[in-house]
This record gives sequence, C-alpha cells and structure tokens, in this order.
Amino acid sequence: MHATLCDLMMDLVQNSTEADASEIELTIIETKEQIEFTIKDNGKGMSKETQTKAIDPFYSDGEKHAHRRVGLGLPFLLQTAEAADGLATIESEEGHGTQVHFYAKAQHMDLPPFGHFASTATLMLSQPTQGNLSIVRKTETDDYSVTREELVETLGDLNDSQNLTLIKAYIESMEENLEKAG
Amino acid sequence: MKKLTLDDLRALRNSKKKAMSQRDGEAKSGEVVIGMGTCGIAAGAKSVFDAFLDEMEKLEITNIVIKQTGCMGLCFSEPTVEVATENMPHVVYGNVDEETARRIVRDHLTGTALVSDHIFDKPSMDIIEKGGK
Repeated sequence: MHATLCDLMMDLVQNSTEADASEIELTIIETKEQIEFTIKDNGKGMSKETQTKAIDPFYSDGEKHAHRRVGLGLPFLLQTAEAADGLATIESEEGHGTQVHFYAKAQHMDLPPFGHFASTATLMLSQPTQGNLSIVRKTETDDYSVTREELVETLGDLNDSQNLTLIKAYIESMEENLEKAG
Repeated sequence: MKKLTLDDLRALRNSKKKAMSQRDGEAKSGEVVIGMGTCGIAAGAKSVFDAFLDEMEKLEITNIVIKQTGCMGLCFSEPTVEVATENMPHVVYGNVDEETARRIVRDHLTGTALVSDHIFDKPSMDIIEKGGK
C-alpha cells in the first residue's frame, strides 16, 4: 500500500510514460473540503476489456514481467479513494489516451497524507521519456504550473544530479508560496 | 523561501557551472539508477532519492546522473539502486534506506569503497535478457 497521495500520482504518471504518451498533464486541485487530481495522457490507451482488467490487482499485461500476475498501481488508487469517501475513475480510448481522475474528502481520517510534492514532481519530471509533462497545482485562491519542456530548455539534462537539486528547490519554492485556504 | 522563476533557475545553473569549472581535479562520471516501480515507491525509494541528492550536494559531487527504472524483479529487496561509476565495479544495492544511500555517496561515488553489506549483485536474469523497461 502506498503511504502518500504523491506515491499514487507517481505511479500513474509512470503508467502514462509507459503508454508512450508524448503529452501528459497532471492537475491537482486542493480545497478545504476536497482533494482532487487528474492525469491525462495521449498514450496508447486501453480497450474496454483491458480497462476492466486493469483495476483487478491480479492482472498485469505481462509485457514488463513475463510471469507476474499482479498489477497494483490502479487497485491501490481505487482502494484509497473508496476508503476516503471519494472515487477514482478511468476513461480510456485505444489509440487516443487515458484519463484517470481521483477525488476524496480532504479531512477524511482514512485519507493518506499528501506527501512531499517537490521530490515527487522532480522524479516525475526526470523520468526517462522524450515526451512533455505539465504539472498544474491549484488551490481555491492560487496556482502554479511547471512543464518538462521549459525545464529542459532552462537546464539541459534533467537527470544531472545538480539539475535535479535545482528542480527540487524550484518546486519547493513554489510549494511554499502556494496559498492554501483555511 | 522566495518564489523562484525560470530565470532564477537559469542563473543558479550558470553559477554552479562556473564554480565547477573553477574547481581542480577531474570529476569521475557515473550513473545511479533507482528502482521506482510500485514496489520501490512503496518501500521508500523517494526518500532514498532525496538522500542521494542531499548528500551529493553536500559533498559537491558532480558529473553523476540519477535515473529511474521500473521494477527489476527484486521487489523483496526494494529500494534497489544500481551504481555504475568509472573505476569501480558495477553494483546493484538492495534494501537501501536513507542512511545507506548516504553511505553509497560517501564511499562508492567518491571511488573509495563499496557498501558491502547492501550489495545485491545483479538484476533478475529474465529481465536483463529481455532488455528490461
């Protein structure tokens, strides 16, 4: 089981990367009552049949690991949403992309902690892909965004350890200045 | 902390580059690959990543890239970290927590010693044969 909401998001962004998406958008909306996030990609998508299987913890497409019979990313997400009076939904079209949406009650006692977003985002942004990733973080009164393309243009190789430290500091500075209601 | 802009980021990058080129000695290059599959994340690979960044910054170690990979088939020994640097054996470390990550930076990345009690050896063979992903 994942310890934080950031871990869940990380898993989903990886799914999009592995679905060969060239554009991935992660939008997180945090209000006093609710926490919500959407991951939208233009990757290879899933058929209706695969979508049903994808939420079964004992299903994996077998591409990465020939003998493995578990796939826990999406099941963890569904379980977390359900536990915190929320819902997770998956919409996907083969050949066009996938959109995963999650929401839950912000104050629910079974909602895992949010987690450290700056390191999570740094990891998401430095995943091995040529595609772009846009992260949008919103609260009731404020927002910020960061994209992989602008970071590559500013810094160069995002896997360089010094650049990773800079990206983390950059996102930390935006997190610290993000106004949150109440 | 002041809210940084992309211009600030560019300026910081340039000042770091300058400081690096002024320093003597040839920095050894290398690669650290952290397992970030569902199993790695659940076992705490994210804090390991933070520890690597922090310790490398402290010791001013440069020329190292940090990459991520999916599950290597060693879920039971997550977080796993593969380290390949010049003049040192290529090693896969298992059960790496924050302190172990710091030891890997201090000992392995500086080219002085391996962190022997966490060496796992090689990634699972069936995955290597298939090229992994």
